[in-house]
Amino acid sequence: MTDAVTRCARCALSAAFPSIEFDEHGVCSFCRDKMMATSEQSAIDRAKEQLTGLLGQRSRPYDAIMCNSGGKDSTYTLKLAVEKYGLRVLSFTMDNGFISPTARKNIEIVVDTLGVDHLTVRPSSRFYRRVIKATALLPIYQEQTLRRISAGCNACISLVNTTALKLALEKSAPLILAGFTLGQIPANAIIYRNHFRFFEESRKDSLDRLRAAVGDEVDDYYGISDAALDRVESYPFNVNLLCLEEVTEDQIVAEVEKLGWRRPADVDGCSSNCQLNTFNNFVHQRKYGYSPYELELSHLIRKGLMTRSEAIAKIEDQPVENLRFLARKLELSAQERVQLGLPDLENEP
Amino acid sequence: MESEALRIRALLLGFVTRSFNVAESDVKLDESLIDQGVIDSFGLVELTVFIEKELGVTIRESDMTRQAFGSVNKMAIFIAARARGER
Repeated sequence: MTDAVTRCARCALSAAFPSIEFDEHGVCSFCRDKMMATSEQSAIDRAKEQLTGLLGQRSRPYDAIMCNSGGKDSTYTLKLAVEKYGLRVLSFTMDNGFISPTARKNIEIVVDTLGVDHLTVRPSSRFYRRVIKATALLPIYQEQTLRRISAGCNACISLVNTTALKLALEKSAPLILAGFTLGQIPANAIIYRNHFRFFEESRKDSLDRLRAAVGDEVDDYYGISDAALDRVESYPFNVNLLCLEEVTEDQIVAEVEKLGWRRPADVDGCSSNCQLNTFNNFVHQRKYGYSPYELELSHLIRKGLMTRSEAIAKIEDQPVENLRFLARKLELSAQERVQLGLPDLENEP
Repeated sequence: MESEALRIRALLLGFVTRSFNVAESDVKLDESLIDQGVIDSFGLVELTVFIEKELGVTIRESDMTRQAFGSVNKMAIFIAARARGER
């Protein structure tokens, strides 16, 4: 596939990315550092200092709940947590029903190799389908949020975050770990206290829209009761250990392969665990004109951790032939498929 | 609005426009930045870090209310009062 998209000459950001401007050499305003308000290095240094303080307080039975998707980044983060930082970890996977069989196997092998406890939480497939359909068809989230992530992934990760917080509160774990990289999250969010009520205001409107589309069940999955929150003496910190590492994707893959991890062949170039990612990317690309991975991958290019051609190859590696099976599994109606611009499924075997 | 709050408002606006890719004229000063779609939960984290690091004012979790953070104007007034030790 050729790169027909107009992109920055240095990174993978395309001309459709919000507020982007190019100079006479075709270099975007992000690469010229015109749109970064705070120094990333100072935020990283601050996070490292803060982490040292946090690691001084250990807890039983677990120091941390690890959001383990089975992808390479969360697998590497789990390895860092156990081997580099010596944390007692409860690994947790949100099984959304679209995890690649290879990724499932990876999770089993890696938690056994590292010797950590593991828990799988699988929400009702009917509920999950309705959530993903709502995020694909309706404007549930703010556009600011969707610059970094597709709507479907955002819904899924919000569910992961809420479940992880419930687990952390239940187990009195002071840390919640996730495998986010810089670009996926801002540098100031490498470590932050997960105060549920602190974020309530920012989630209220989107949760109201999701509830209107899906039903009151949304509160069971995305909410935490006032009674439970009233009992909280201290909220855990969310920590993204991978943001503190200078490491390339190849190095990450080489390290996790030593644990028995294998790259799934049935996912797109931007995911190493979830088949649904291709659908979420397709919807985002069609609606906004750019990939939800552009910001993250461009950040890796600027840091020298990925080449521009590697990043573009990942963005373009979208097995659109899987959209048929995904549309069926999501039980999209003919009208919904047309609305989303999906391939015609009529007369398909 | 007193002069210190006006100064803080200008700094907040500068940060918001640079960090979240919006024009100053697009930010409604009396409406919530979240409701306007200017920031999300990560934006809220970034904003509090900016206030603490650049304006030298500590933000407590109990401060995150619509009264204090419900708009740029409310934030500026709140931060100015906190800096004077009034809140």
